[in-house]
Parts: sequence; C-alpha cells; structure tokens
Amino acid sequence: MRESWRRIWAVAANTFLEAVRQKVFSVLLIFALVLLGGANYFAEFSFQEQFKFLKDLGYAAISLTGLLVGLLGAAQLIPAEIERRTILTALCRPLRRWEFLAGKYLGLVSLLGVMLGIMGVVFWAILRWKEAQLIGTEGGDAMVAQAIQAEARDPRLWQAFVLILAKLFVVSVLAVFFSTMATSTTFVIAMTLMVYLIGHLQNVAREQWLESGEHVSRATQAFLAAVSLLVPDFSLYNLIDEIVAGNAVHWRATLEVVAYSGAYVGVLLAAAAWLFEGRDL
Amino acid sequence: MTPAVLALSLRKEFPLGWGRGRVLAVHGLDLEVKRGEVFGLLGPNGSGKSTVMKMILGLLRPTRGRAEVCGFRAGTLAARRQIGFLPENPYFPGFLTGAELIRYYGKLSGMGGRELEARVDQLLALVRLGGEAGRRCLRTYSKGMLQRAGLAGALVSDPEIIMLDEPTVGVDPAGSREIRDLIRELKERGKTVIFSSHLLEQVEDVADRVVILHRGEKLREGRLDELLTQTGEWQVRVKGLGSDQRRELQTWFRQHGAEVLAEGSPRERLEDYFLRSLPEKERR
Amino acid sequence: MCLLAALLLLLVWGSLKIPWEIRMIRQQRLATVGFSGPSAVALREKLGQGLALASLGGFRGLAANALMLQAHGAWEEQQWVRVRSALEMATLLQPRVALFWDLASWHLAWNAAVAAERYGGESSETRRRIEARKWVEAGRDLLERGTRAVPEKSLLFQRLGDLYWQRLGDYQAAAACYREALRRPDAPGYLERFVGYALDKAGDPKAALEYFRELRRSMGATPDPARKPEVVEREISRLEREISAAKAINRP
Repeated sequence: MRESWRRIWAVAANTFLEAVRQKVFSVLLIFALVLLGGANYFAEFSFQEQFKFLKDLGYAAISLTGLLVGLLGAAQLIPAEIERRTILTALCRPLRRWEFLAGKYLGLVSLLGVMLGIMGVVFWAILRWKEAQLIGTEGGDAMVAQAIQAEARDPRLWQAFVLILAKLFVVSVLAVFFSTMATSTTFVIAMTLMVYLIGHLQNVAREQWLESGEHVSRATQAFLAAVSLLVPDFSLYNLIDEIVAGNAVHWRATLEVVAYSGAYVGVLLAAAAWLFEGRDL
Repeated sequence: MTPAVLALSLRKEFPLGWGRGRVLAVHGLDLEVKRGEVFGLLGPNGSGKSTVMKMILGLLRPTRGRAEVCGFRAGTLAARRQIGFLPENPYFPGFLTGAELIRYYGKLSGMGGRELEARVDQLLALVRLGGEAGRRCLRTYSKGMLQRAGLAGALVSDPEIIMLDEPTVGVDPAGSREIRDLIRELKERGKTVIFSSHLLEQVEDVADRVVILHRGEKLREGRLDELLTQTGEWQVRVKGLGSDQRRELQTWFRQHGAEVLAEGSPRERLEDYFLRSLPEKERR
Repeated sequence: MCLLAALLLLLVWGSLKIPWEIRMIRQQRLATVGFSGPSAVALREKLGQGLALASLGGFRGLAANALMLQAHGAWEEQQWVRVRSALEMATLLQPRVALFWDLASWHLAWNAAVAAERYGGESSETRRRIEARKWVEAGRDLLERGTRAVPEKSLLFQRLGDLYWQRLGDYQAAAACYREALRRPDAPGYLERFVGYALDKAGDPKAALEYFRELRRSMGATPDPARKPEVVEREISRLEREISAAKAINRP
C-alpha cells in the first residue's frame, strides 16, 4: 500500500509541477485585479449592496476560474498524454493504471485546492480593505459600523469555498471519467458540461420519476430513471447560493454535501479506473 | 533458465468501430528471447513490431495467446519491473528537465532517496547529458538529446530487459552509432536487449537473433550468422595484388571450376566513411 | 467486461445515493425554508431556475446585480415595463435573495402605480386608476411569489402587509400578513402592534381590542420595555373607550 501511495504521489507531484510550469497560477493575478477593480464599483449604493456586489463578484470569479482550471485540466489529463504518447513511458513502469489515474486526479485537485485557497485569502483581504474604507466613510454610527464589520467578516465565506471546491472536485472527476473513454478533449468537455447542466435539474427529474404514475410513458420513465441514477445532484450545492444570499447554513449540511462529493469522487474514479484498465494504448 | 520473453500464439485484432469489422495486426506469433541476447524485431512499417512490443509491455491486451516476461505474465507489475522501454519517437513532458525526467521515472519504478539521486547523476553522465544539459527543459532538447534522455529513463531501474522501438529513427549517424555501442555494452553486462527497426543494416551490426515480421506474421527467425551466411560461397579480401596477379588468380579460379561471382575494390559503408570524415572530437 | 463492471458500479451507486440525496434535499429545505416537503415552486419555474443556475454557474449573482442596475436606470427613466422585466429576471436568477422581491414589488406597487395614476397616458382618470391598480396587483402577486421563495424570512410578509394596507386598503389581509411575519424569528418587534392597528383600521375594534389584550397578557407582569407595553396599554384604553362610546350611541 505504501509503495502504491508513493507512485500515486509521484504522478500527482508531476501533474502539479506541470501546471505550475505552464503558468496556470498567473490567472490568479487576473483574479486579484478583477476583484480590486470591482471593489470600488457600486459606490453610490448602500453598503449592503456594495458588499453583495463584491461577494457576488468574488464567488463568480472563484467559481469560474476553478471551473476552467478543473474542467480543462481534467479533460486533457488522459487524452493529451495518449496523443503525445507520454503515457507509454509512464505506464510501461511498474505502475498500475488506477494508480496513474488517481495520481493525475490528485495532482489536479491539489492544484485546485491551492488556487482556491490563494483566491480565498485575496478575497478575504479585499473584503477587509472594503470594510476599512466603508467604516471610514459611513461608520460614524456604532450600529452601522457593526453591520459593516458583520458583512465583511462573514465566516460563511469559508463555508462557501469548501462547497465550491467540493463541487469542482465532482466536475473534475466527471471529466476524468469521460476522458478514459474518449480520444478527443472537445468530446470530454462537451460531455462534462452536458452532465453538469443536467445535474442541476437532476432533483426535478428524480422527483418526477419517483412520483410519476402510469400517465408517463415508459421511455420518459427510463430517461428520468437514468438521469436520477447516473447523474450527480448538483442542486445540493445550492447551499452556496444560500450563503451568497446572506442566509445561514449549518456546517453539518455543508459537511454532508462534502461527504457526498467525496463518495461520488471515489465511485467515479473507480469506474474510470475500470474503463481505463481495458483500454488499448 | 526461464527465457527473457516468451510469446505463445500471440494474436491482436483491432476493431475498426461502427460495425466495420476488425484489422488483424499480429497473427498467432510464437517467440522466445533468451536471456542476455540482443534480439531484433524486423519488418517493414505496419508489420506489427510495435504491437508485439506493446503486448509484451502490457500496454495492449492480446486478443488471444499470452506473453511472459522472465516467467511473469506480461503486463503485471512483476513483469514490468523487468523491463525498461524506449518508444519510437518518444515524447516527454516538455516542462521537465532531463534530470527531473529520469528522477520521475525512477520514482515510478519504486526508487527514491540518495540511491535515486546517484543513479540520475550516473545515467546523465552515461548518456552525456550531465551538467547544464541535464538542467535544461526537455522542450529545448534536440531529437538526439531526447533519445538519450529516454534511454537514461529506460535504464534508471537497471532492468533485466531493455526494449527499444526504432531507437535510431531520426538520429544522425554518430548518434546512431552511439546507440548501437550502448546496446553492445548492455549485452556485455548481461542484459537482454530487444529492439525493433526497419533499418536492416543497423540491426545487422548488433543483433544476435532476429525475427522477421510481415503483416503480423512471422516469416523467418534465427541467429543472424545462420540466416545470412551463404554456404557454398567464399569471400576473401586481399591487399597488395597487382593487375597481373589478379588476372592469374581469375584464370586459376576458372581452371578449378569455380565461378567468380564478384570482383573489384570493396566499398566502404557510407556510415563509416561519414564518421571518418568528421573531426575526431565530433566522432564521439 | 470492464465497461459492464463500470456501468454496474454506477447503477449500484445510483440506487444507493438516491435516498441520501432525497434526505439531504429535505434537510436543506427544512433548514432554509422551514419545511421539508416538495418545493411549492411550479415545475416550469424549477426547470427555469435549474437551467439558469447551471448555465450561468457562478455568475448568477453578478447577472442579477447587473439586472438590478438596469432596473435602477429604467426607474430613473420611468420605463416601468423594463423595471419589471429586469427585476423579475433577477428573482429568477437569485430567487432566495429577498432584496430583489422587495425592490421589485416596491417599484411596481408604489412607483409604477403612482406614475400611472398621475402621469399615465390615459386622459380619463378612471382609466388611469385602473392602470395603477394593475401595477399594484402585479406588485402584490410578485410579493406572494417571493414569500413562497423565501418563506423563512419575515421581510416579504411584512412588505406584503404594508402593500395590502397602503396600496390596496385591505386591512384584514394586512393583519394576516403581519401575523404571518411574526411567526418568523427575525420579525421586528413593532409588528406586534401593527396587527392590532390593522384590525382596528379594518373596522373591527373588538378584534383589535381582543388582540391587544392578548398581546399585553403575553408580555407578563414585568414586560420588556422594548415591546412598548405602555403603547399597548394606551391602545387598549382607547379601544375600550371607543367601544363603550359606540355602545352608548347605539343604545336606544
């Protein structure tokens, strides 16, 4: 087991290094600049609206950056290696295919974790800077100052990050799953995005499937069943929207969604490993 | 002693997809490579050489038949521990340096720590990529340098068997000579070398035994000297004969019933001529 | 073979995950909207929201803010149809943000309605009032949808009560809305008294008196001054006097 883990770690470290040397982190600079620019927008609105805008901007930038890095990175993990034939020199080693796959995925999610962590710290710093700015201009009244502080130092920020990261892990593993079957990166991206879209409606399909009576055709039932069984329920991550809307979300609910994400990652990686095992290279 | 590689009725079909049938790449191949020999897989492009190698490595699953490496089933970890592989036209992660590439492959082979570091330095020196060259990114390497880096990667775990798929394609004559010298050196160290090539004159220099493939089938197999020696003919090369003495010899041959098949000054091989033409330090 | 094994694994996992998903969704609904049953939102709306959520990804909030800005600009130009469409789209993108529902209903039931009544294109005052009424009802309908989307907060129930009081003159409905708002933990304290005021305004002083007496009783012997017991007692005294006076007038 320890040897397995060493090999997986070697592949993961190599994947992470590749991303770093391809200057993936330079996107963080753009992120920081976008946030800084956005921090002074909406200045003529109330402080609640200003913070809402800034938080929406921050969450959007983090989600989009994470989605791009996760999706594009995962989609070309296997096809690009096969196309360049670098996979041959790796898999001719005493390295199991599932170890290679796990290492590649681990490298990618480590990259996502580090990037989101950095973006989270930058976001937090900008919120604190905005807090200082607003207290200076509007914080004469103690209650207003307190309200500004509460907006800026919202601990739910980290809850939202955890959920965004968990969602990205699932999207990435979906892309890895499709990439073990496909030869084209475009196909992988298209399939992953399609499942991502359908996943936001999976709960609707599931409710319709479980509650539909005989008035629904068999074909429709089969389709609804397939969606319910095979597609992740991305509406579970709507807790992020609750946090963005300023509503309280219990950490228990968050951790349960994280556990669900972890279980999904495990299952999809196992399925991907099985598919990859049978693939000719 | 178990053979280095044993293939029994190895067959590989590739589906064309969309119900268009299958293409037969390798057709019931039997093969045995003894330990410590240099074995050549010959054949034109598309004869199945790379497919056979990949089945031995476990990168492809045989449709029928089986292969073994040092007694282990091909494709298992134990089998792959015995092999170092350099593919045809190898591509390596361009963002890595030469040293990092060898280190990465060493880690994948289960090596680590100071042993691996020492091995990396040793191999870089062996393939003449030490110093600054080993610290450059692979994307800045020439074709020959990539080939040498790949060789070092294949040798990092000191495997019993080294498989080289078209190792001299795209390499200049000096580099090609180097690779053949390296193959001889590996043989002297008791390693088994299996290499494929469609450049027959290069195989002739180093291989002990060869198999000739054509469209997935074995045409011939055997020791080179047995296959190539033309019994019943005798070849001699002399120096210092004048034209009168040459005519005397031709007459003597005819009188004794021998047929002179060819005569004239021997031709040097172009590769040898080319290398002789280079300055000493360029010849390596 | 490997493909079959992978598919089997996904199907087995699929059947295991469904009860887990159902339980999590129920718990999330319970924690956020206060009830765990199926969403009251219609299927078409669910599909629309789902697609909006998926297609815009993390940009929903920004898109909704941009629409809010657009509505603000349209308000300044008195383009009420644009105000309505921009804010309705914002509520589709972020249905759980009470601010959008509040803003939308305010623009429709107050600003657009007043503008239609005073400055509308119709020459007939009656027609202008009818037009204004339509805007008020549009604001009311929007708020009612908002209370279903954000049922755990008191704000929209309170705003609905204000709308019934100030724009529709339906004080009974206003009282009912304030009562509903008071069932939420974030309701402002002064709403307690607003229920009584609304009942009085609805022409039911007995019900108002009954309510204020009950309210005073609930405050106990040492009431929290923030609940303004003196105001409640003053209302009780006033209503008692008014009811007595009314009885005296009606006595033959």
